[in-house]
Amino acid sequence: MPSSAAYNSLFIPVDESFLTELSRIVGRDGMIRDQSDLLTYESDALVHLRSTPGAVVLPKSTEEVQAVVRLCRRSAVPFVARGNGTGLSGGALPVKDGILIGLSRMNRILKIDIPNLRAVVEPGVTNLSITREVAPFGCYYAPDPSSQVVCSIGGNIAENSGGAHCLKYGFTVHHVLGVEAVLPDGELVHLGGAVLDKPGLDLLGVLVGSEGTLAIVTKATVRLLRRAEKVMLLLAGFPSIDAAGEAVSSIIAGGIVPAAVEMMDRLTIEAAEAAVHPNFPKTDAVLIVELDGPASEVDELFAEVERICQTCGATTIEVAHDQAQRDRIWKGRKAAFAAMGRVSPNYYVQDGVVPRTRLPEVLRRIRDLESRSGLRIGNVFHAGDGNLHPLICYDEAIPGQAEHAEKVAAEILSYCVEAGGAITGEHGVGVDKKGYMPKMFAADDLDTMQLVRCAFDPTGICNPGKVFPTPRLCGEVPGPYREHPVERAGLAERF
Amino acid sequence: MPQVIEPVDATGVAAALSQSSADGRGVIVRGAGTKFSPPPSDVILSTARMTEGVDHVAGDLVATLPAGISLDAANDILRREGQWLPLDPPRSHHATIGGIVATNDSGPRRHRYGGPRDLIIGIEIALVDGRVAKAGGRVVKNVAGYDLSKLMCGSHGTLAVVTRATFKLSPVAPFSRTLVATGSDVRRLSTLALTIANAPPLAPTAIELQSPPHGLLVRFETTEAAAAAQVKIAAGLCEQFGATPHVVFGQAESDAWRAHEARVFGTPGVVLKIAVLPTDVGDMLAIIERLSSAAAVVCELSGRAALGILLLKISGDHSAYSSIVAELRREASARGGSAVILSAGSGDPMTTVDRWGPLGDAQPLMQAVKARFDPQHLLNAGLTPWD
Repeated sequence: MPSSAAYNSLFIPVDESFLTELSRIVGRDGMIRDQSDLLTYESDALVHLRSTPGAVVLPKSTEEVQAVVRLCRRSAVPFVARGNGTGLSGGALPVKDGILIGLSRMNRILKIDIPNLRAVVEPGVTNLSITREVAPFGCYYAPDPSSQVVCSIGGNIAENSGGAHCLKYGFTVHHVLGVEAVLPDGELVHLGGAVLDKPGLDLLGVLVGSEGTLAIVTKATVRLLRRAEKVMLLLAGFPSIDAAGEAVSSIIAGGIVPAAVEMMDRLTIEAAEAAVHPNFPKTDAVLIVELDGPASEVDELFAEVERICQTCGATTIEVAHDQAQRDRIWKGRKAAFAAMGRVSPNYYVQDGVVPRTRLPEVLRRIRDLESRSGLRIGNVFHAGDGNLHPLICYDEAIPGQAEHAEKVAAEILSYCVEAGGAITGEHGVGVDKKGYMPKMFAADDLDTMQLVRCAFDPTGICNPGKVFPTPRLCGEVPGPYREHPVERAGLAERF
Repeated sequence: MPQVIEPVDATGVAAALSQSSADGRGVIVRGAGTKFSPPPSDVILSTARMTEGVDHVAGDLVATLPAGISLDAANDILRREGQWLPLDPPRSHHATIGGIVATNDSGPRRHRYGGPRDLIIGIEIALVDGRVAKAGGRVVKNVAGYDLSKLMCGSHGTLAVVTRATFKLSPVAPFSRTLVATGSDVRRLSTLALTIANAPPLAPTAIELQSPPHGLLVRFETTEAAAAAQVKIAAGLCEQFGATPHVVFGQAESDAWRAHEARVFGTPGVVLKIAVLPTDVGDMLAIIERLSSAAAVVCELSGRAALGILLLKISGDHSAYSSIVAELRREASARGGSAVILSAGSGDPMTTVDRWGPLGDAQPLMQAVKARFDPQHLLNAGLTPWD
């Protein structure tokens, strides 16, 4: 398999005339070339992968994005779109010497239509700002990734972001109704829209979650939801992960679909306690269960959830009686990642999914791995949908331990795949996990996905080197065969 | 006469497609035949025998279903564990999983649960080059790779043949009540539908408009106490809007919903799906009323009023159909919406009229996707404008 570096080196490096033209499009204040300023854009939140772009542009309009992309296409220069850089899989890692298109200046909320529960936003708008804007009308935007204060809607669309409440409410793909997008040849398309059921192929369904490899979204129409009449939340302590897991299974088996079910183990409880003092019980596991909906339904089902927790051996149950209490409990959960810094100098965040019924078995394997590897592993996860976030603690000052942690993280992914799960539930494949894709998908599966890529981006300049383990060239359809330089160099197969 | 092939699994479908590709023979992909048929072709590839291998993991609330099984047959199996695939498209006793995915078809409960593209989490497809591919998986949360399962939803069998699909399921609610509201003003009922949809104390699974006679069906499927409480609140809203509410349950409730489906799909006629913003439904209703009274046609409608989806059946004077469809399409388009012909009886002049209307600026991209999946244009040729 060719390395990304070898693949990237086959793109034409940017030259001065290209850069001059680029600055004409976005203006001098819309372009960054200074090496020290470029450092900011060398990585996303997966900071150990870095690459310096030839230039960063910060367009302010769809027209500027189109012009930049057209120029890149004409000059065979690869480009990568970037939101606010909170991605955890290197999806916005620049191509060395390519162009990074930062969308943070396109950050306007263009329209709010409360009667139809729609909002039209630019890609740089942050996730939480939509909710803030519509809250006075009793509405909110449902996907709530942990980074929602800073992450952008454009990035959410690229990664099909979820959050703690996607068990009941779904992912970004269920809440984005339409987009305006710039294709890799600079053409503008409108997929979906404010009205449902636009005739034609559901290209929006495949664009969402394509990790910026198909197009650059320049506007999005999102669905808003009405705030539920009632929200109830409890925090239950359990003597073991297994007991907490049993409670989750019983809730689901009881026909209850909570808005959120989150679980934390002893290590992450300790870390959260040290960081934000949520006053969680000092037990082996805590479960956070949130129910929302009409009061008539929530009251009845919540009593049932409480009963199930007691039956499954909960040692403590705290029912939140007001928003302040709910906020405190959620703060403890949402702080879990960052809080690991309190108990370990470094940690590696993994993201894998297992079928809920296989959770106990996979968690046992992780515990065995913990004792074998000598590295502490904290577990915090979206228990309702089997999305695990093991936090592997290490000390980079100890030679070899960072690499060891990475291997441990990789082994956990293989447990997920063996249990019938997925290598990523919400962080994306990006560069980080593309090498694991063959664990989950056969070559024919990946080739079929690349058919879509070839239709959108036949020249392969839109965020190349991401998602797929093997770069592919797209035979033009129709047209005579021409050998591509990448192919001649033996670095990619024609598809 | 076309050759009919009925494979039992994905490998069989792939082999048949591979042979058709080699021979350059066109293929019609067929489930139960409950939807619009493509023009005749060389081979009919039927999923009729692909009914085995339902894999239901109740603890995970997911199931993998073979393409040829009917929705009702699948749900009979899932209900044994108190769960179901919450889709209720028309003719669900015949309509197959493969066909429902291919047409992204749904029914009244779309209001709560969404359609196939919202529930599908994994897919297996057979490609024209004889390969079998899969995407997604068996877990609800999964962002690894492109989501081809959503791309297949509504692709009308033009890209590949769906052989299996995995869905997230829902628990079967313990209790159901339907509020039937009748009123003299259908536009007012459409406003009532939006009011009910936006009322936080209410969480109906379906809100359906019907006309004529004008009525609104609102279904509550939850616990007994919650259903009773919500029916009461909704009935109060009905009275505020000058509508007369009454509650049905048991056999009467089933009958009410069966009659509702039959209103549009039970008798011959052209069925048009009109999509507009929810707040534009009232305007469209007025336009429909005007057009139907001006021509010698009978218009009957149902629809997901709070989602902005109306299903209109036109019967009577054939000569008036195309102008009515064109007018409704123009009015819907002017509001950012669309009007697509879902079905037409054999011999209807509508079989030769453009079913889809404009696809917008993404049409070339759709055609590019089609060309990558099916470069010889063998699958369901002539059925869609992205061919």
